Parts: sequence; structure tokens; C-alpha cells
Amino acid sequence: MGAYLSVPTWWQRLDSRYRLVLGRCTECGAHTFPADGPCVECAAVDAFEEVEPEGTGEIVAHTVIENGAPPEFAGLLDAEGAIGAVLVELDEGARVPAMLTDCDPHEHGRGDRVEAVVRRIYEGEGVVRYGAKFRPL
Amino acid sequence: MRDVYVVGAAQSDFGAFPDESYRSLFKTAFDGAVDAVDGEFERDRIDEAYVGTLGVGGRQLGLSGPAVTEHVGLDGTSCTRVENACAASGVALRQAVLAVRAGVADVALAGGVEVMTDMSGEQTRYWLGVSGETEWERMAGTTFSGVYAQMASAHMAEFGTTREQLSHVAVKNHGNGAKNPHAHLRFECSLEDAVAGPSVADPLNLYDCCPTSDGASAVIVASREAAEDLTDRPVRITGTGQASGRVGLFQRPTLTGIPATEQAARQAYDEADCGPEDIEFAEVHDCFSIAELLAYEDLGFCEKGEAGAYVERRATFPDGERPVNLSGGLKSKGHPIGATGTGQVVEVFKQLRGEAGDRQVDGLSRGLTHNVGGSGGSVVVHVYEGGWA
Ligand SMILES: [Zn+2]
Repeated sequence: MGAYLSVPTWWQRLDSRYRLVLGRCTECGAHTFPADGPCVECAAVDAFEEVEPEGTGEIVAHTVIENGAPPEFAGLLDAEGAIGAVLVELDEGARVPAMLTDCDPHEHGRGDRVEAVVRRIYEGEGVVRYGAKFRPL
Repeated sequence: MRDVYVVGAAQSDFGAFPDESYRSLFKTAFDGAVDAVDGEFERDRIDEAYVGTLGVGGRQLGLSGPAVTEHVGLDGTSCTRVENACAASGVALRQAVLAVRAGVADVALAGGVEVMTDMSGEQTRYWLGVSGETEWERMAGTTFSGVYAQMASAHMAEFGTTREQLSHVAVKNHGNGAKNPHAHLRFECSLEDAVAGPSVADPLNLYDCCPTSDGASAVIVASREAAEDLTDRPVRITGTGQASGRVGLFQRPTLTGIPATEQAARQAYDEADCGPEDIEFAEVHDCFSIAELLAYEDLGFCEKGEAGAYVERRATFPDGERPVNLSGGLKSKGHPIGATGTGQVVEVFKQLRGEAGDRQVDGLSRGLTHNVGGSGGSVVVHVYEGGWA
């Protein structure tokens, strides 16, 4: 039993899953991830133009999950050990929640520079879901 | 606007109770609240009922409110289930207050219930994550403790909050909870123990995290006219405030505070015609140690960034200037999600009436409850004073 995200729901925003496509606010210029809902800065709605970011940024909040991962990530925890779960502030300004990859998550934290790469996220309803993770630069 | 009074409040024990059901736990809390009413009380005086529950385990997801009120003999009474994650029954209380103020009810019931300890580990981990932002935050591997750990990491980096300061919250709340006969984890812990707990979501360890618990709580509120019949020791609700925030931490303007707490507190203080400096004691939402520190700052008990030093100088210990979580808090008393909000009211009710036993702090006249849903997607704050207006 995992968090229920249907396959159609996952596919709705593949641009943001794979390439972190952001919304740039036509009212105030701030960037919001994903390009949906209100602007995180000024709360304008229906005011986004889609922008593809560079994919680089900085870790602003950090945790290492050693156990108690939700069921959809239990296999990942078993296979790779601790999961680094971070918020990355992209160079464009939007914050993105993501996992760290290709590193020991204990070795990295706030202030470290990272870049996005596409990785396997989890499998749900028999379909492997891919999306962005971040690796240290 | 009509004045609203708490005339009865009680909770079941919080803990792990394989022989109980969500209905039997609710009945224990409800019967206790009725018993706590000083005067003669017939249950048919209840005009409206609001029951908070997340429905962990899915045991009665639909109609979970009426399913417990029917069990205590309130068949026929209007009942509405409230779901605002961990703030469910704090919000249920607000609904009851608003119903009495509006004149729709003279007497209203607010309560909550949750059963969390009878499931497999997989089920538990599934349910513990359902109040995070699902589509992006949870899909980034972030657990419930993980979101608060991220806030802790940011608070530590920005303000120099230390590992020991987080642990002081656990030491204080366990010390208080050890004196509470209804508490789930009734043991004291030393600073050394609390610092050295096994990691759950770095930087948070086991002692930074509340347990999952079974339990229920219930509060009976009444208009002034009805309350005069029912009690000689009134507890007046002088202010209520509620606000919502972005469900996902990544879309909030700050990582080191909960904006909805500030907004809900401002409303409650304005209604109560007081400020944070007037709050003598509080029950705040300490699902994690960092959450209690954020609450000090967002409620205005101390300056932004100063919460670590504030607890370290024992300001919120029972002998300090502003005791917080005299009940033991979620940390020690336990956190049966739907029962937590009205559970906080039980402690304030007892403290203001001088009925808190070994935990009693004498001379308290104004208190506050602060109940958070998820990591800050919903917050509700109430202010209380002893005596008639
Ligand atoms: Zn904007």
C-alpha cells in the first residue's frame, strides 16, 4: 500500500517531473514549482508562463531518513540505505522537494550545490515512475 | 457576540489499547466530560456535535462522527465529522464555539478520537504520511518526521539552534507527562538520553518525536445562560482563531516558522483582547521537538530565532515564567491524531479550575491551546480565562 497517485495523475505533469518545468509569474516575476496553482510570492492565480530551469540550485533544508519510510519507498531504503530528502532552491528561485542520489546523504546538507538528474522514483500500480532527483556538484 | 464557556472536558487514557475500539474510547471521554459538568446534565441538551478524526486505518472513514455519537446515546443529534489532519478536534472545538456564538446551539459537543496502534507497520507508515502534500512532497521520499526535520535543519542553520536545545523540549514534556495519569509515555528522560536517541529523520531522533497513540477526548461548551445552570467554576473561551497554510513546506514563504500559527494567534489574541505577553501557560502542538520551538516564536512567546535559548533557560518548565505543555504534550501524553486538539483543552480546563493534581501550577488565570494540522496546512488557536466575564 503506497500513497495513491494514479498513473494519469503522474502523467499530467511529466514536464515538471522530468525537467522541473516552473511557472514564472506574469504579475511579479517569481518562480513557482510546479507550474500550477497560485504564485508562491504574490498568490496570483492563472498567471504562469512555463519556464524550463537550468536544473541547478542549492540545498536549503535537509533530512536523512534512516527508517520509517512510507511503503512506496521501503524497497529503496532496503536497497540503498538512508534516503536524503531535501528542499532545493533552484537558481531561478523556486523550491523543489526531492531526493538526493549518487551520494552518501550524510555527507551533504544545507548550502551544497546540486543538479537535477532523472532517476527511478518508485513503482505504483505496476508502472515504474521516473522523475528528478538531485546529485551534488 | 455570545460568550462561550467550557463546562465539561475529559479524555480517555492515551496509549495502546488492543481491547478498546474507537467507539469505546470515545464513550470513555464523553462520559468523563459529562461527569465533569458540575450541575445536572442531560445529554439531550447537546444541540450540535463536532467530532475530529483523520480516520487512521480507514476503520470508519465515512460517517465517522455519527458512528461515535450514536454510541454514546446521541442518536438524532446533529453531528459533523471534522478532518483537518492533526488539528481535527481543535477545529471541531472552534465549530462548536461558532455554533454557540451564532445562537444555533446553547450547548455543543466537540471531541475527537483515533486508533493508531493496532495496524501493521506498513499500514502505519502509509497513514502517517497522508497529511503531507502527496503529489510532490511525499513523492520526494519525505516522511512526516522528515518535513519537521527539514524545518529543524533550517532553524539550526539560520539561528544556531542546538541539538541540546531540541532535547530540552523532550526532557520537559516527559517530566510533565510522568505526572499525568492519562499519558501514553509516563517516564522521565535525562538530557543525555534525549540527545543520544536513535536517528529517525536527521537531525530528529526518537526523543524528538511523539508516539502514535489510541485515545479520545471530549469538551462540552455552552452559552452564558446555559453555563450558569451547569457550572460554578466556568472556563471562558475568550478568543478563537484559525488559518490555513500551503500544505507542502516547499511552497511556503518560510522554512523556519508556520505562518498559519501567526495568523491564527493574531485572530485569537484580537478576540481575547490580549497579547502573547498575557498568556500565562499554554498547550502547544509538539508533534516534534522543533514544532514546540516554532510554536514559541510563532505565538509570540519569544523573539524569532530565540526559542532554543528560551527553553534552555527553562522559561517553559513548570517553574518557569510561562509553563508549556504541563500535560506532557503530544510528546509524552501521546498523539491520537483526532483526539489531540480537544485533549489540549482538557489540560487547560483542569489547570484553570485547579484540578490538575500533581501537575497543578497555582494561580493561573489565562491559557492558550495551539493545534497544528500536518506540517502547518491548518492551525487553530484558542484563548481561555477562568471565571465569568
Ligand atoms: Zn507572483
